[in-house]
Amino acid sequence: MNQLERPKDEEDQEETDCHHDNSDGTNNNNNNNRRKTVCPGAGEHPLQYNYTFWYSRRTPSRPASSQSYEQNIRQIGSVASVEQFWRFYSHLVRPGDLSGHSDFHLFKEGIKPMWEDESNRSGGKWIIRLRKGLASRFWENIILAMLGEQFMVGEEICGAVVSIRFQEDILSIWNRTSNDQTTTSRIRDTLRRVLNLPTNSIMEYKTHTDSLRDNSSFRNTKISL
Amino acid sequence: MSTSRQFSESRAIPTRTVLINDTTQLPHDYCTTPGGTLFSTTPGGTRIIYDRKFLLDRRNSPIAQTAPAHLPVIPGVTSQNVLRENKKNEANNHINKHDGKPITDDAQFEMDI
Repeated sequence: MNQLERPKDEEDQEETDCHHDNSDGTNNNNNNNRRKTVCPGAGEHPLQYNYTFWYSRRTPSRPASSQSYEQNIRQIGSVASVEQFWRFYSHLVRPGDLSGHSDFHLFKEGIKPMWEDESNRSGGKWIIRLRKGLASRFWENIILAMLGEQFMVGEEICGAVVSIRFQEDILSIWNRTSNDQTTTSRIRDTLRRVLNLPTNSIMEYKTHTDSLRDNSSFRNTKISL
Repeated sequence: MSTSRQFSESRAIPTRTVLINDTTQLPHDYCTTPGGTLFSTTPGGTRIIYDRKFLLDRRNSPIAQTAPAHLPVIPGVTSQNVLRENKKNEANNHINKHDGKPITDDAQFEMDI
């Protein structure tokens, strides 16, 4: 086969400018740098932004480094419409049924769920700790709110993560500008509303700069009551 | 804008009074803004907003029933079959119905002759 004549891309039927009729997600091999645009199919309800599903898993004993993190996380697919979202979501295990030290990430297309990504460099995240048994329901509610543009903070939302850990699960929502108090307050208030959090729930915020500094996602956060 | 002026007829805004006897009769979207966001306009311009109910209602669209092409196979994470929500609820429904029929079938077969 003459490789020179074919584009490097092995997915021939998907084009970069969205003229294809099928409404499948993007290719999803482990090469996280490759980006394709998906678009809503005919009759589908478009989302304000395209989003990409990611999955990561780590054996806890292995120390995390930026390089190993990038290799451990892989894209599952991208969605541009409500229907495409359900298509992926219905074929993914619910987070509560994931085993081990695993995460699902749902981020705007083009933003990697990494502190170092350009869109995340000045950003931070709200985190909510959940006792076991709540992750699936809360994850669904937080991503529906995000996809439905319920946060009303312009371009600030980068993505959401659900992290399954040993004795608790953690929900995170990442935004671009950690020192934008108006934005972070509005995100916090929206979270309270869409997740129906009890009024005395503890919410924590951590800048990604701090995470880079102590190489930890969930320790040393700022507590907000 | 135009130099000629026409007076349109004025009418009171039509309203409708509904008597309810119980808070359960309130519509589910009482006291919310369209789109459910607490904002009456969209700061920053028009955005595509969906509330939770609208999104959930699209869950059973035909497109969502087949697995996306190129869905990576990750055992324990991805599935070629649709993973239904509320597996537990479905199981409970089967247990509670004595004659074993799912609830929806009864609704279909009720006829007045």
